[in-house]
Amino acid sequence: MLLAPSDPKILARRDSIVAALKKIVPDGVVEASSDLAAYESDALPSYRQKPLAAVLPRDADQVARIIRFANEAGVPIVPRGAGTSLSGGALPRGDGILMGFGRMSRILEIDYENRCVTLQPGVTNAAITRAVEGEGFYYAPDPSSQIACTIGGNIAENSGGLHCLKYGLTTNNLLGVKFVLPDGQMITLGGKAPGAGGLDLLGLITGSEGLLGVVVEATVRILRKAPVTRTMLASFDSVPDAGACVAAIIGDGIVPAAMEFMDRATIGAVESFNAPGYPDAEAILIIDADGVEADVADAMARIAIHVKACRGELREATETLARAKMWAGRKAAFAAMGKLAPDMICMDGTIPRHALPRVLEGIADLSKKHGLGCCNVFHAGDGNLHPLINFDAMKDGELAVAEEFGADILRLCVAVGGVLTGEHGVGIEKRDLMTEMFSTADLDQQHRVKCAFDSGGLFNPGKVFPTLSACIESGHMHVHGAKLPHPDLPRF
Amino acid sequence: MTRVASENEIVDYVRAARESRTPFEIVAAGTRRGAGRPMGKLPVLDVAGVSGIVEYQPEELIVTARPGTGLAELKAVLAQKNQCLGFDPVDWTLFGGAPDFSKNGTLGGAVSADASGSGRLRHGPPRDSLLGFRAVNGFGEAFRGGAKVVKNVTGFDLPKLMCGAFGTLAVMSELTFRVYPRPSARTTLILRGQAPEAGFAALRAIWKSALEPSGLAYIPGAADFPGLGDVGEGAALIRLEAAARPLQEKIAAARLLVGPAEELEAGETVFARVGEGSLFRDNDLDVWRVTVPPTQAARVAKAINAALWWGDWAGGLLWIGAREEDAPRIRALAAQAGGHAMLLRAPAARRAALGLYAPQPPALAAVTASVRAAFDPLGLFNPGRF
Repeated sequence: MLLAPSDPKILARRDSIVAALKKIVPDGVVEASSDLAAYESDALPSYRQKPLAAVLPRDADQVARIIRFANEAGVPIVPRGAGTSLSGGALPRGDGILMGFGRMSRILEIDYENRCVTLQPGVTNAAITRAVEGEGFYYAPDPSSQIACTIGGNIAENSGGLHCLKYGLTTNNLLGVKFVLPDGQMITLGGKAPGAGGLDLLGLITGSEGLLGVVVEATVRILRKAPVTRTMLASFDSVPDAGACVAAIIGDGIVPAAMEFMDRATIGAVESFNAPGYPDAEAILIIDADGVEADVADAMARIAIHVKACRGELREATETLARAKMWAGRKAAFAAMGKLAPDMICMDGTIPRHALPRVLEGIADLSKKHGLGCCNVFHAGDGNLHPLINFDAMKDGELAVAEEFGADILRLCVAVGGVLTGEHGVGIEKRDLMTEMFSTADLDQQHRVKCAFDSGGLFNPGKVFPTLSACIESGHMHVHGAKLPHPDLPRF
Repeated sequence: MTRVASENEIVDYVRAARESRTPFEIVAAGTRRGAGRPMGKLPVLDVAGVSGIVEYQPEELIVTARPGTGLAELKAVLAQKNQCLGFDPVDWTLFGGAPDFSKNGTLGGAVSADASGSGRLRHGPPRDSLLGFRAVNGFGEAFRGGAKVVKNVTGFDLPKLMCGAFGTLAVMSELTFRVYPRPSARTTLILRGQAPEAGFAALRAIWKSALEPSGLAYIPGAADFPGLGDVGEGAALIRLEAAARPLQEKIAAARLLVGPAEELEAGETVFARVGEGSLFRDNDLDVWRVTVPPTQAARVAKAINAALWWGDWAGGLLWIGAREEDAPRIRALAAQAGGHAMLLRAPAARRAALGLYAPQPPALAAVTASVRAAFDPLGLFNPGRF
C-alpha cells in the first residue's frame, strides 16, 4: 500500500497553520518532530507517517473552530482517539492536522433512570463500565482494546467485541451524539428519546471511520449486568465437528453471550504463553451463557447435548476464578503470537458460519502457498474470523507477503458470501480490497454520501475508498480553489 | 399505476422517470399511505410484486426477502423454525378507513415507516435488524448496502438510512435481516390502580433490570382499553419471555421489583392493540407518536392532556390522540423533553402544514437534504412526503 505523498503547497504553509491552531488551542498544539512521533501510527504499525501538526482540543467549541480553520485553509484532518485502530484508521497525513481527543475525556452525566451515560469522546470504553458498575450496570460493546480505546474511536469504527451476537455492536448501543460537520457546524443526532425524528444519520455516522465529521459528545445505553454468567469449554477432534456444534446451538434458539473458536495452532500458542490448561484438540469453543439462573441452566443443559452430539468433550466453570482461567488463553491469543513470530497481522473477515470448515481449509492452503504461519480465532456466534498471520518484518519482503496472504484470506471470505471486516474497519489496510466486495455502483453511492458531508474531501482522506474522484452532483463538479481535491492522491 | 415485479423492472421504470423528470409515489400494500405529507396526484409505482423470500438460513440467523413480501407470510415462515423478526413489525390498523386496508402490510412498508411494536424494547427497531439491502437509486442504478452476515463494518452503514426514510432515498428490491429465536413461553403481567407517575416508574424498574422484557406499556384508566378489566387510574403492563421454566423465575423476580402483578390472559391481544394503535380506528382524532426519554413520559403525557393516550417502550413512546389545536403544544413539549413528535394520522391539510416531524435545525436540515440528494438528486421518490 502506497501512502499518499504530501502536498508541498500545504507543507510550505506549515508555520502559519501551526500559528492558527495555537490561536485556537494555545496550550494544545504539538509541532516538534520528536513529539509528533507519538502520533505517527496507530495499532497497524506497518504504516507510519508524522502529521503536519497535532492539536488537542479541550471542548466542542475548539473542535468546531479547528475544523472551520482547516476547511478554509484546505488542510486535511485526521481524527484520533487512543490510536488503537487495527486498520490504520488514525494514520496521519503528512500534510494534515491530527486532531487528538485525549483531553476531552470527561463523563458528563450518568442517568440510571433513562439507562444512559453522556460523555466526551475521549473517555475510554472500559471507563464507562467502571463508572456504572457500582450500581450493577455496564456498557456492552467490549473491543479487546477496551482499556485504552475511546468511545469516539468506537463510534467512528462501530467497534464490536466478544459479546456482539447477543448485545450488538456500538451502533446498537449508541443513543445520540453531538457531531461537528466538515464545515464546522454542530448537529445533534438522537438522544435519550428513542427514534431519529428524521433520516437515521446517527446510524450512518457510526462506523464511518472519521470520513463524515467528528463526534464531540455521545450518549450511550447501559445495561443491567446479568445476575448469572457461566462458562463452558468444548473441545473437538475436528473443525467440522466444532462448526456443526456452533450451528446446532444457534439453530436451537440459543444466543450465547459469547462463543469463541480457537484452532489447534492457536491453542498451542496460548498453552506455551500462559498455560490456561486447554485440552489437546483440533478446535475448542469457549462459551458464555448469561441471564437469570434458570435461563442459564436451561441454555447450558441444551448446549451440553449439542456438544455431545457433535462428539465434543465438555468442561464447565461457574466460579469467577475458574471462568477467568478458561478465558485467559483466548484473551491472550494475540499476545501469544509473539511466541511464534516477531510480527503479526490480525485479519477480520466475517463469513456465513456454515462456510467455516471450507474457509479454514482455504486458509491452511494459503498458508502453505505464502510460506507463513497462521492461527485462527473466531467469534463463532457471529461468524467473525480473526486469522493471525505470523511473520518477521525484519526479513526482506515478508511484510508484503503477509499483506498479500491477508488480502487472499479476505478475498476468500468475500467469495463465500462474507465481508472484508466485521469490526476493525476498512481504514487504509483494506481500502484497495473494497472492489472485491462492492460494485462500482455500490461504491459510487457510498462516495456520494461522503460528498454530501464533505465535498472538499478533507476528512480522513485516503481511507476506506479505493478511488478518490471529485464530488460530483447533478453533473457538476465541486471544485475548490480552482483545483480538484487531493490532486496528489493516486487514482486507480 | 405501473406494477413491477423485479429489480430490473424497477431500474427501467426509474430510468424512464429520470429521463422525463417525473416524480412518483412508491406503494406496496398501501396500508401506511395515510402517513406523511400528502404528495398530490402522482404516478404510482406498485412494488407489491417485488416479493418473496429469497433465502432463509435459520442457523445463520439470517433471512433475505423482497420488500413486497407480506409481513404475515414472513412471520409464519420464521415461526416454523421458532424464529422471529426482532423489530416486532406492526400494521398500523388505525388507518382502518383506507381503501386498501384489507391487504396485509409488507416488509418494505414496515421498514420504510420504521413501524415497530412493543417488542422493539428487546431487540430494537428495524435499523438494528436490517443487515443489508438492494435498491435502485435516483440515478437508475441498482446498488447494495450492507451484507448478508450478522456482523459487518465494511463501508458506510447504508441499511440504517433505509429505515424510516418513507421511501425517499431509493426503491428497495431486497432486504436481509438478522432474525431472533422465538421464546417458547411468554406472559403479560398487569399492575392495576397505577397513576401515570407510579405506573411508568414500575415499568422503568423492570426495564432497568436484567429481565429483558419484550413489552412495557402503560394504559391510563380513561382510555377504557379493551381486555384489561377495571384498572382504576391506570395499568402497567409487563411482558416477559423465556423458556418455560425460566419464565417462572422471571415472573417471581418481576413481582419482587414491582409488587403483586397478576398474569393477564389477554396480554398478547392487548400488546397487539398497543402497537397497532387500533384504538384510534373508530375516531377521528389526530394521532401522534411522541418519543421522549422514559423518565419524561408521565410529565409530558400530563402536560399534553390528550383525549386518548397510552405509553409504550417503558415510557419512551406516547401514543396521543389529539385535537387540531393541540398540535403546537405537542410539538413544543416533545422538543423540550428532547424527543420527537411524529404526526401519524390527520386530515391532509394538517399533514401538509405540519409535516411528519417538526422542522429540523438549519444545519441538520441542510445535511439531510444533501444526503437525500446523494441518493435521489432529482427528487423522484415520494417527493415531499417526509
